[in-house]
Amino acid sequence: MKQDLYACITAAEFPAQALLRLRSDLESEPVAVLEGRPPLETVCSLNRPARLKGAALHMTRLEAEGIQGLRQIPRSEETETAARAALLECATHFSPRLEDVSRGTACACVLDIAGTERLFGPPETLAERLRASLASAGFRASIAVSANFHTARLKAAATRGITVIPPHQESTALGKLPLDVLGLDAEPAETFAIWGIRTLGELAALPEIDLITRLGPQAAEWRSLALGAQPHTFQPIEPEFTLKEFCAFDTPVDQSDSLLFVAARMIDCLVARASARAFALASLVLHMELEGGRVYRRVIRPATPTIDRKFLLKLLQLEIAAHPPQAAVLLVGLTAEAGQSSKVQLGLFAPQMPEPSRLDVTIARLKAIAGEDRVGSPVLEDTHRPGSFHLESFVVADSAFAPPAEHPRLALRRMRPAVPVRVELRGLKPVAFHDNQRCFKVVAAYGPWKTSGCWWSSDGWNTEEWDVLAETTAGSVACLLVRNHQLSNNGRSVWQLEAYYD
Amino acid sequence: MTDGAGDAEYIELHAASAFSFLAAASQPEALAERAQQLNMPALALADRNGLYGVARFHTMAKKCGVRAHIGAEIAVSSFTTQLTPASWLPHQFPAAPPRLLLLCASQAGYQNLCQLITRFKMRETAKAEGAATLDDLEEFSAGLICLTGGDEGPLAATLAREGSQAARKQAQRLTSIYGCGNLYLELQRHHQREEECRNQSLLRLAESLSLPVIATNGVRYATEKDREILDVLTSIRHHTSLDRAGRLLSSNDARELRRTQCMAALFADLPEATANTRIVSDRLEFTLDNLGYEFPHAPVPDGETMDSFLEKRVAEGVLKRYGSPAKRHLLAKARAQVAHELKLIAKLGFAGYFLIVWEIVRYCQQHGILAQGRGSAANSAVCYALEITAVDPVGMELLFERFLNENRGEWPDIDLDLPSGDQREQVIQHVYERYGQLGAAMTANVISYRGRSAAREVGKALGFDDDQLARLSGLVGHWEWRGENDTMARNFQQAGFDARHPRIAKYLDLCMRMQNLPRHLGQHSGGMVICAGMLNRVVPLERASMPGRTVIQWDKEDCADLGLIKVDLLGLGMMAVLKDCIEIIPTHYKKEIDLATLPEDPVVYQTLCKADTVGMFQVESRAQMASIPHNAPTRFYDLVVQVAIIRPGPIVGKMMHPYMRRRQGKEEVTYAHPSLEPVLKRTLGVPLFQEQLLRMAMTVASFTGAEAEELRRAVGMRRSMQRMKDLEGRLRDGMTRNGIGPEAQDNIVQGISSFAMYGFPESHAASFALIAYASAYLKVHYLAAFICGLLNNQPMGFYSPSVLIKDAQRHGLRVRPICVQHSQWPCTLEAALDNLNFPATLGAPGPMLLGTRDSNHSQQSTETNLSLRIGLNYIKGLRQSSAAAILEARNHAGVFASIDDLARRVPALNRKELVALASAGALNALDEVAHRRDALWQVEQAGRPVGPLLRRAAPANTGAPTPLRAMTTDERLAADYAGTGITTGPHPMAYQRESLRQQGILSAHELETRAGTPNVRIAGRVICRQRPGTAKGFVFLSLEDETGIANIILTPDVFEQNRLIVTRTRFLIVAGKLQNQDGVVHVKAQTLTPLGGPTNGPDQARNFQ
Repeated sequence: MKQDLYACITAAEFPAQALLRLRSDLESEPVAVLEGRPPLETVCSLNRPARLKGAALHMTRLEAEGIQGLRQIPRSEETETAARAALLECATHFSPRLEDVSRGTACACVLDIAGTERLFGPPETLAERLRASLASAGFRASIAVSANFHTARLKAAATRGITVIPPHQESTALGKLPLDVLGLDAEPAETFAIWGIRTLGELAALPEIDLITRLGPQAAEWRSLALGAQPHTFQPIEPEFTLKEFCAFDTPVDQSDSLLFVAARMIDCLVARASARAFALASLVLHMELEGGRVYRRVIRPATPTIDRKFLLKLLQLEIAAHPPQAAVLLVGLTAEAGQSSKVQLGLFAPQMPEPSRLDVTIARLKAIAGEDRVGSPVLEDTHRPGSFHLESFVVADSAFAPPAEHPRLALRRMRPAVPVRVELRGLKPVAFHDNQRCFKVVAAYGPWKTSGCWWSSDGWNTEEWDVLAETTAGSVACLLVRNHQLSNNGRSVWQLEAYYD
Repeated sequence: MTDGAGDAEYIELHAASAFSFLAAASQPEALAERAQQLNMPALALADRNGLYGVARFHTMAKKCGVRAHIGAEIAVSSFTTQLTPASWLPHQFPAAPPRLLLLCASQAGYQNLCQLITRFKMRETAKAEGAATLDDLEEFSAGLICLTGGDEGPLAATLAREGSQAARKQAQRLTSIYGCGNLYLELQRHHQREEECRNQSLLRLAESLSLPVIATNGVRYATEKDREILDVLTSIRHHTSLDRAGRLLSSNDARELRRTQCMAALFADLPEATANTRIVSDRLEFTLDNLGYEFPHAPVPDGETMDSFLEKRVAEGVLKRYGSPAKRHLLAKARAQVAHELKLIAKLGFAGYFLIVWEIVRYCQQHGILAQGRGSAANSAVCYALEITAVDPVGMELLFERFLNENRGEWPDIDLDLPSGDQREQVIQHVYERYGQLGAAMTANVISYRGRSAAREVGKALGFDDDQLARLSGLVGHWEWRGENDTMARNFQQAGFDARHPRIAKYLDLCMRMQNLPRHLGQHSGGMVICAGMLNRVVPLERASMPGRTVIQWDKEDCADLGLIKVDLLGLGMMAVLKDCIEIIPTHYKKEIDLATLPEDPVVYQTLCKADTVGMFQVESRAQMASIPHNAPTRFYDLVVQVAIIRPGPIVGKMMHPYMRRRQGKEEVTYAHPSLEPVLKRTLGVPLFQEQLLRMAMTVASFTGAEAEELRRAVGMRRSMQRMKDLEGRLRDGMTRNGIGPEAQDNIVQGISSFAMYGFPESHAASFALIAYASAYLKVHYLAAFICGLLNNQPMGFYSPSVLIKDAQRHGLRVRPICVQHSQWPCTLEAALDNLNFPATLGAPGPMLLGTRDSNHSQQSTETNLSLRIGLNYIKGLRQSSAAAILEARNHAGVFASIDDLARRVPALNRKELVALASAGALNALDEVAHRRDALWQVEQAGRPVGPLLRRAAPANTGAPTPLRAMTTDERLAADYAGTGITTGPHPMAYQRESLRQQGILSAHELETRAGTPNVRIAGRVICRQRPGTAKGFVFLSLEDETGIANIILTPDVFEQNRLIVTRTRFLIVAGKLQNQDGVVHVKAQTLTPLGGPTNGPDQARNFQ
């Protein structure tokens, strides 16, 4: 019968480790990692120099600022995710069977290493090699090897370095460990604390039945854990399927060709990985970090999921052409979303529709020419600003037609661009205006209709409108005159012929 | 709309102030001032659903020579909802009832408006906006003129949604309610097409129904620029930012108070619309001068008038107060004084007021509730005779005129201190019952925008993210708003923000303009207004957030301005302690005690002089302890000064040290001007009390009584900066005329200004000093009872219960731990002697300490027979109902035999509560319990009873010894502090004394005898950290050990170097220089080291900024 054997890796203070493994310059600096919403951030992780300086977990930002020389870095979930992936990547080189046992701010996993002696040698050697491999990836981790899954896990969590526990020595090895390695809930932890039970050895010494009658059946499990006898069914983790590719450049890249060359290869990889699982790419997120700390991010979403490499590359090229990065690129990443590749059943009597990918390319080209915000359907905005609207992507509406208006409304023929006019005033009221070609005599004027807003930003406006009935040699017209008070130009105002009433 | 100004006069009849709470942007005062600037002879204020701002508006309008018309916009739920933009336009308007504008034409109209608002506000079950119904309008329509409102009105919504026929019906309905001549169709012109379209429909409606039209501007702010504030307030009201508010914001800035000519030009085509404003204004005869408020008539027996009845009660009181041999020499003087006071009271018609307060005090007496008047009422011999106050104004020669004088033209103000908590609520509910829900109500407290709240909400409106907001509003926390207007800008610059950056500059500007704008209405802590008739005819009432309370729409200053009388029913923790003592002392000491006749006891003053004042009212703080030995009080008036002097006012005003030096004979007694000698003689030439400031102004600047009164009002109020400045000018002019030099003028003005926020009347100080003396007397003579009272009325005072207990133990009180067999819910006294002795080596209480620390203990024999039993209320997590169940089971069938017995007989106790009892050592006295851990082991089983099905299968309690080891001392202390916040055993430091002694570390008591040792080390538990604003960054720590409390001073540098240790460490070793100034001992710290704490209990120190 095969003898069970497990190795547990625990990288404590993982938020700090994840940030510092990429910052060798901060290796010997005292660093505290803060989390929480400003201004209520607290220290969630810290390195050894910081601890020596007097920093402690759960300190407030204000308290941490009181420690001279302590560097404070905000917690980065993305960095931790990437670091976790790197750590697991290292571990998988030693065993394909991993179980994630991370708890709190530590990153931990247990490897099923039974039968690996012929590959890596005895457990001590495997542990040494594993530790060295982790160190080269920038992690400081403790490793414990035991025939009992939980013994390895608890020992690695509570000790530093490498520990190999011989068979049947589990309870001795665990005896002096503090009780909090069990990660008990607050209530039992509090109970043990007031009982004066501080170590696993003290817990193991309590009579089992009395313990169960007092703390319930869970107590048997805790005692069994403390004795190093708790069985475990290994639950290997399924590697998460993520379609992500990152490429950091040695030097900043400012040529789009170089960028697209790399992007093409990345798309190839993503398509290949997706295809292997019978997926297509439903979207691509282009993420670039630029010089100066700026981040560039664009989303490309084809009409239907696709694995057409050239098509995806074309969309990417058009996107970059339409929105060129404002600085040289330090890092480029592509994250793809997997989707089901769809096959459309063509109907004999179905109307001829443009091919979705062609429509996408056409719209992308239009956007590249006209501008991102100039292609789509117009939508009114919630503002008093006259004529304010924005464009949204074309969407096929559920109901084809809007209900007709109850009352007939006046129609306006808007002049685009509006025609600048010179206006003759009497008092504040227009009496005549000229548009460089014709002279209009105002017969009647109604107004002013005033709107103003956005006074808190540079985008403010202040306009007055007049509905006028004017006469020219060609006859009479009803039109709309607008006077824009230019807020930023010493209050000067500009008159425009905005529209004719139908 | 065409231009061409007409000559028609226009009066704005529809203006809302910021008291529409986030729906308008200018203070009522600003609107009145603007009306004056525009030469508008009258202006009507109409806030949303209330009359919140009318008092201020009326007062300011009077000053500005503008007639103040009163009205309100009333929400009516019977109509369709308010007008919103068309459905095809994106918008975020919530549904809201439309509002009509009602203006008060007569006093009856005003009373109806108040009743109408009260009706729909009180219909709500909790604090809410509410809305009237058409039935309500009908019931309270007399004397009111109705305007149909602008876009917020019902006609606007009905015209837009249902057309002109429906609008016509609605107008007819309103006509039937208010009558043909009292309904006006309102036309507004804000340069909007839709509005003009509506106006045309309204004109057709008016013509067809023969209704008059009237022009208004629906004013929301005084000047165009304030539109920005309105937009910010709108964003705040709708919980959004300016960028996202969209159509919720105003479309332009046309809702300012417009000039007459401007409105005439706008309505040139409708001259009757503007002319009607003048006609309506002339019809609005009502002003707030004619409020119709009457203080309730006190019920008196047949054949008596209120004056005669009061005179008799006072005569009885005088005899009672001054009839004793000790005070008989004052009897004639007292009679003369009350005769003088009664004459004035009769002249001013205030007898009813005194009788009503007397009735409240009598109610308190009958129900065993201790009540004592504070404030200026203590100047009155009548109040003293009626037992409203406890300070003898005749004996103390207090100034009656400070309380009441003929020229003041204001009602007297009596504040009553009551035991805080249920008893105060009982008195408040009694007043409600006696005068009815609509006859009495709490005064309001207007919550206004201040530095931090303005900074935060404006920042949110401008869309600052959380980080920026935190930085900016954090910065505001340190701003001094009382300074010049540019203080904020200067602070911004100092904090590294560029105040010239447009966005920051706009933020800064908006924050400053938002200052003092009302945010919402709160409830005053204790002010109650009582009315003869129905209070809801005088001012609208509404629900308060607190159940069972109603609140009027005016704050206390508005009440004072409009002559509404209030009685302040304030809660004071020490009153509850005194009341407890009065009940406990006869039971356990076999003595009756009357707080009104406490003797002047030299032992009490000796105790005070030693600053042995932990637990005593007003004199227990660190600053008081540091100063009281210098002041060395030997008589009651010294205590009055002591209470008043340790205040920011005297400290900032540099009054404290001169007084102290003069008191100690180190400085000559001089006067800023010879004429001030009679005024300041009692306080050695240093002005300390408001009464003195009043008299100073009258003496040096020849102020009249009324002017001096104005000065007093100005210095006591928050919104008085401008008034103070005006008065300062007049004060200086007066002094110059009287030949007083500039330097003396500066000193006098400084003395007066420093009282702007913290002024303390002498009578108030005397009232407090009386309580302080009573607390000191009780502590000295009835320690057990006093500490019992203190512990049962926590939280209160300066020190935590653990400090109070340790102090009491040092004074010889035996304190017994919580015990399930003996403890009651509150702490109690036990009479029997016991064998609860602590080893003397641990510094526990005993004869040794009694001999050294408390040789004056007059009640020693009684005290040694008494011990204090800590109550079950100190066990954290034990419900009062569970404790009651324990007591009931114990009373019913005797003490508990075991833990199983306890769990069985008190099934209400859950496992957590049993654990809490065991952890605190409350089960140690039960049989079969060896120690706390044994109890803990047993309760875990007892606390999890098995169901009936498995009961037979459950393992029986075998009686086997616990596998848990007994707690160590440290663990026991930790369990004590964690479970109860106190320990009745030796002080944690006592366990380390031997080791500390070997290290040369002194105890607090030893410090007093080491005057010659410049460098010392001391260790103890930090019980108090203080960094007062007046101390320029110095930090004061109090370290407690088993022998007493040591005072530590940290310079700003030392604090900065040891910030973490100071703020986080509970047990400290402090090395530094010993300083002993006239018996006040403190250590000026040089180094601080954490002491390996004997316990990991919670941080119990109280931190004060």
